[in-house]
Amino acid sequence: MSFFRKFRKGYNNKPRTDSDAIFSLSSAYITLEIKLGLKSTGRCALSLKSIDGMYFTEMKDDIQRFLNTGKSDVELNSRMVVDSYGYLWMILDGKSMGDILAGISAVGDTIQEKGFSKQLLVAIFEFNNEEKLSNGSTQYLIYNYKSNKFYPFVPFGQKTRNSENEMKIMATIVDEVPFEKDMTLWYPLWDLPF
Amino acid sequence: MSIPKTPSWQRRDTGLTARMILSFAILTLLYLVFLGALVYVGLDFISITVIASIMILAQWYFSDKIVLWSSGAKKVTREQFPELHDIVERIVARNSLPKPKIAVINTNMPNAFATGKGPRSSVVVVTTGLMDLLDTEELEGVLAHELTHIRNRDVLVLTLASLFSTVAWYLMQFGFYGGMGYGYGGGRDRNNSGGALILVIVVAMLTWVISFLIIRAISRYREFAADRGSAQMTGKPVKLANALMKISGGMRQVPTKDLRQVEGLNAFFIVPALSGSTIGNLFSTHPPVEKRIQKLMEMEASMG
Repeated sequence: MSFFRKFRKGYNNKPRTDSDAIFSLSSAYITLEIKLGLKSTGRCALSLKSIDGMYFTEMKDDIQRFLNTGKSDVELNSRMVVDSYGYLWMILDGKSMGDILAGISAVGDTIQEKGFSKQLLVAIFEFNNEEKLSNGSTQYLIYNYKSNKFYPFVPFGQKTRNSENEMKIMATIVDEVPFEKDMTLWYPLWDLPF
Repeated sequence: MSIPKTPSWQRRDTGLTARMILSFAILTLLYLVFLGALVYVGLDFISITVIASIMILAQWYFSDKIVLWSSGAKKVTREQFPELHDIVERIVARNSLPKPKIAVINTNMPNAFATGKGPRSSVVVVTTGLMDLLDTEELEGVLAHELTHIRNRDVLVLTLASLFSTVAWYLMQFGFYGGMGYGYGGGRDRNNSGGALILVIVVAMLTWVISFLIIRAISRYREFAADRGSAQMTGKPVKLANALMKISGGMRQVPTKDLRQVEGLNAFFIVPALSGSTIGNLFSTHPPVEKRIQKLMEMEASMG
């Protein structure tokens, strides 16, 4: 009967900040690994709408500098790419989930502190299914900065999605992280620049 | 934004519904004409009630035949559809249920339903469109859902529930006929009995409306129960959820348009999710697909 209770309870202790929400992944990723065999590839990315202007460039430089100097205590490799929609992607590669969560939330916080929170789109985390590589392999968790919720994205072939795997992800961690339960808002991100 | 063309199987199965409604409308009309004739002939209340109950019983007895006939379903043997028989046999064997008869409707619309008075005389009906659309495990989920309807005797439950509304309906009819009779007859106590009759009609009408809504509520609840039963029988709620998505055309619910494209359009994320109005929900026999999928996913989660 426990699922009834879960259903009623839902996720009601909503985290206050984006960082809180993102850090809720620090336990949820273990659940994903145990229950679905999904392993983090150590890659995550943050995307924001690029604008022209001195302050934006300054903020970019600040983040670049922060990521370069931070290398000593957290092991992260980073690069920046602009995609065809004009979105700037900050791509981080790390060895542990703790490192990439710390990195991505620090980047997000810096952007918000500099007053560009409206430009923030998503943070995206890459996972791989080790056991069933034939079954689509790469799966993503997307954190939407506008709705402050996570949702799954499992691309499958050319611009189609594996809804079954997406629903499995939802079922697995819906109570652990703030999750977007409305599937009509699970907007995909095709042709990721990494 | 262009709306993608809907494939034929994603549209509503209006054909089947229309056929069923037409058949039952004709039946109801027949009843009314017949009962009207009885009233006209001048039979008393008791004998009309007896005849009406016999008719209701007869309808109950032949209900599965009527449903099969009006939907155009044909019973199929193991040789014709071995896979379908295999799946049903697998489920009934695992859950020690009697094996129902299996019928198929030849149409592209994906649909399935169960009918029958009791577990032993039941029929599970699927369309060829459903078999084309779903893979084996998804089909198993849908069939287990229908088998749960049979196990839970949902046809009986709903028939009994609708008995009240049927009786109320007849009362309303008698009230009208009776009222007219008194009106013509005139007499001393005309005002008194007229008032009482209007009261009967109003009460009957209220009963009918309320029981109509209750039947729909029961029916929606039974759908959830059948989903749950299916999940327990197959152990794979996610497969039924996926099947529901496919059948309802829900694959379109999960968007394919890129977030970066929709992001600038409007305040997309401020608008609350409008998934069906409450009034719509009151009248529908099935709960919204999103709700059903959500519950199935909760079960998947609890199974670990």
